Amino acid sequence: MMTTHLERSTGAAVRSSSSSATVRRRRKRAELLAGYGFLTPWLLGFVLLTLGPMIASLYLAFTDYNLFSNPTWAGLANFTRLFHDPDYIQSWKVTAGYVLIGTPLKLAAALAVAMLLNAKRRGQGFYRSAFYAPSLIGASVSVAIVWKAMFIDGGIVDQVGQFFGAAPGGWVGNPSKTLPMLILLTVWQFGAPMVIFLAGLKQIPRELYEAASIDGAGPLRKFRSITVPMLSPVLFFNLLLETIHAFQIFASAFIISNGTGGPARSTLFYTLYLYHRGFVSFQMGYAAAMAWVLVLVVGVITAILFRSSRTWVHYSGEMR
Amino acid sequence: MKKFRFALVGMVAVVALGLSACSGGGSSGSAASGQATFNPNEKVTLNMTWWGNADRASRYAEAIKAFNVKYPNVTVQTSFAAWADYWPARSTEAASHSLPDVMQFDLSYIREYSQNGQLLDLQSYVDNHTIDLSTFDPNLVKSGSLSGKQVGIPTSTNTLAMFTNEPVLKQLGISLPDTSTYTWADYNTFLAKAAAAGAKSSDGHQLYGGNDYTGTFWFFIQWLLQKGITPFKDDGTLGFTKSDVVDFLNLTGNLRSAKQLYPIDRQVALTPKDGFTTNEAASEMSWDNFLAQFTTDSGSTIKIVPLPSVDTGKKDLFYKPSMLLASGANTKHAAAAATLINFLLNDPQVGSIFGTSKGVPAAKAQRDAIKADPSSIDGQVIAYEEQVAKQVTKPTPLPVKGFGTIEAKWLSLAQDLDYGKTTPSDFADQWFAEAAIDMK
Repeated sequence: MMTTHLERSTGAAVRSSSSSATVRRRRKRAELLAGYGFLTPWLLGFVLLTLGPMIASLYLAFTDYNLFSNPTWAGLANFTRLFHDPDYIQSWKVTAGYVLIGTPLKLAAALAVAMLLNAKRRGQGFYRSAFYAPSLIGASVSVAIVWKAMFIDGGIVDQVGQFFGAAPGGWVGNPSKTLPMLILLTVWQFGAPMVIFLAGLKQIPRELYEAASIDGAGPLRKFRSITVPMLSPVLFFNLLLETIHAFQIFASAFIISNGTGGPARSTLFYTLYLYHRGFVSFQMGYAAAMAWVLVLVVGVITAILFRSSRTWVHYSGEMR
Repeated sequence: MKKFRFALVGMVAVVALGLSACSGGGSSGSAASGQATFNPNEKVTLNMTWWGNADRASRYAEAIKAFNVKYPNVTVQTSFAAWADYWPARSTEAASHSLPDVMQFDLSYIREYSQNGQLLDLQSYVDNHTIDLSTFDPNLVKSGSLSGKQVGIPTSTNTLAMFTNEPVLKQLGISLPDTSTYTWADYNTFLAKAAAAGAKSSDGHQLYGGNDYTGTFWFFIQWLLQKGITPFKDDGTLGFTKSDVVDFLNLTGNLRSAKQLYPIDRQVALTPKDGFTTNEAASEMSWDNFLAQFTTDSGSTIKIVPLPSVDTGKKDLFYKPSMLLASGANTKHAAAAATLINFLLNDPQVGSIFGTSKGVPAAKAQRDAIKADPSSIDGQVIAYEEQVAKQVTKPTPLPVKGFGTIEAKWLSLAQDLDYGKTTPSDFADQWFAEAAIDMK
C-alpha cells in the first residue's frame, strides 16, 4: 500500500526511507489508539467487574471476613480448614461424580444424535432446533422447578416407574437418586455440543468414507478410524467446555434442593456449598478460599486436557 | 509495543487493586440522615420486608393500607421471602449498606447484625415517644437491646406447643396421652402406636404419629431447660456438652431404627409443606403462632396442646419474642421508619389484622383488639398461652453469635441422621466442630 502511495505522488519531494517509516509508525500508532479506544468500554467492565473483584477475592481468601466488618488477616487458616471440613470433602465428591459421569454421557448423547442428524432426512431442521432448545433454557430456574416436579413423589417419573414395576417413591427425597436426576438434567441439554458436533461432522470429507467402504470397512471401523480422528478437534473443544461448565453447576441444584444441598448433602455441589458458606454463614474469607481452590483445580484439569490433546487430537493441515 | 502493552496492563491492575481495596471492608453505614422528629406532611418512600407466606403478605397489605389512612404521605414499598431466602438477601443488603427501612427480624441473627452496626438504634425514638413502649413488658423489650442499643423491638411472643391434626388422629384411631402430664417417653410410645396402626391416607400413603422431633434445634433447647441446663451462658458460650446432644438424639433412636417416624425422604420431597400439613402425620411441635399457618396449609382442624416434659408436669417453658421489627442503620428516613414501626407495634387495627399469626402481641392495645371468639384460631392461641402461663418459668434463652448457622447445621445433620448416614455421636462431634467455628 505504501508503494502505491509513493508511485502516485507526483511531487518533486523525495520521500526518504526514514520519513515513510515515520508515517507508517504514526498510522500504526493511530490505529492502535483507535483499537484501544473502542476496547475501553469492555476493558473498563473487565477491570471493574471481573479483574478487580478477582484480585479482591484473592486477598479475601487469606482473611476472616464476615461481610459486615473489615477483613482481618488469617493467613492460610482458611485453606487448612478446607481439608478438615467434611462438608467440603462431600462437595468435592458430589461435584466430581457429576463431572465424571455427566460430561461423558452428555458428549456421547450429543455425538450420537449429531451422527443421526447428519444423514439427510425429512424434518432435519426441525429436529436440530428441537434438540437444541433444551440447552438454551436448561440452566434456568423454571426448568429446574419443572424437573423437580417431574421427579417428585407421585410425579410423572414415579408413575411411569411404578407402571414398569419400580418401587414407588420419587427421586427428589432419595439421596441416592438426586445426583442421577441432576445428571439427567444436564444430559438432556446435549443440544449445544450436538450442534457443534454436527458442524464438525459435515466437514469430514466424504471421500474418506467412500474410500473406507471400498476397502471393506464396516460402520464401527469407519467410526473409530475416520469419524473420531477427524472430529477430534471438535471433540476436544466440547470436552473442555463441558467439563469447565459442569464444575460450575449451581442454579438447578439450588432450586431442586431448596438451597440446602440436601437431602443428606447429596446435592451439595461445590458452588452451592461456597454460596452457603459465603452468604448464609457469613464466612466470606472461607468462601473466597474455596473459589480459588476451584479455579486452581479447573486450571490444572484444563492444562492436563491440553497436554493430552497432543496425543489424540489431529488437526487436519498438519502432517501433510 | 510490548512494553506499552505491559505498562497498560500493569497500570490497569494497580488501579483495580486500588479501587477494590478502597471499596472492600466498608466503613460503618452512613449516619441516618432523617430528621429526629417525623414530619407527616413530607412525602417519603419507605421500603419494608418480612419473611412469611402469602397469608402473612395479605395481612401486611391490609396493615399498610390502614397505615396510609393515618399517614397518607408515606409510601411503603414491600417485598417478602421465605425464611431460608430471607437471610442471604439481608446479608447482601448489609454488605452494600442498603438494608430496608423497616424489616422483620429474628433473635437468631440480631446479635451479628447489631454487633456490626447494621441496625438503627431506636432508643432515641423510644425516648421521644415516636415509639410507645409503655404497655410492653420491660423484660421482653430487653431481648431487643444489645450493648445498650435498642436495635429491635419485639412485636409479639410465642412459646412452644404441640399440635394435633384431628382428622388424622381419628383415622389412626388413637389419641395423645394426657397432655398436662405426659413425658417424652409417653410421646414416643404414642408415635410407635400410631405407626403400628397401619392406617393409610386416601392416596395410599401410610399415616404416622409425627416426625423426628430431635431435628429441630429449639426443641433441644427446650429439653435442656427441662433438664435444668442453661443452654447459652452469659459469656456467649454453650452450656451443654456432646453427651447432652447424644442423649437428646437417642430419645427417638428406637423409633428411627424401627422406621416409626414420618419418612424423611417423603418429608424432603414435600418441602415447603411437610407430613403434618399434608395430613399424613398426626402431630407436630412448633411455636404456638403456627396454628394459623398449619390450619390454612392443611385445611384440617388443628388443635394446640402443651408439650411433653422430662419430669411429669414440669414443662419449664419460656417466652420467645417471635419476631422483632428493626430498621437498617443506613436508612435515610429514620423518623418515618420509627413511625411505621410504632404503628405496626401498637395500632389496634394491626392487632386485629394479624391476630396471633405472629404470636401473641406484645402491646396491650393489640391484645385487647383481638376480640377473639374462643373457638377461632386467635382465641385458641391466646387460650393456650393463658393455659400454660403458669408453666412459663424460664427466661428467654438469648442466642449466641452465629446462632442462625448452628441452627441450620443441626437441621442438616439431623437429615443425615434420619437417612442413616451418621450416628448420634458423630452428629455431636460434627456439630460442635461447626459451632466452634461459627461462634468465633
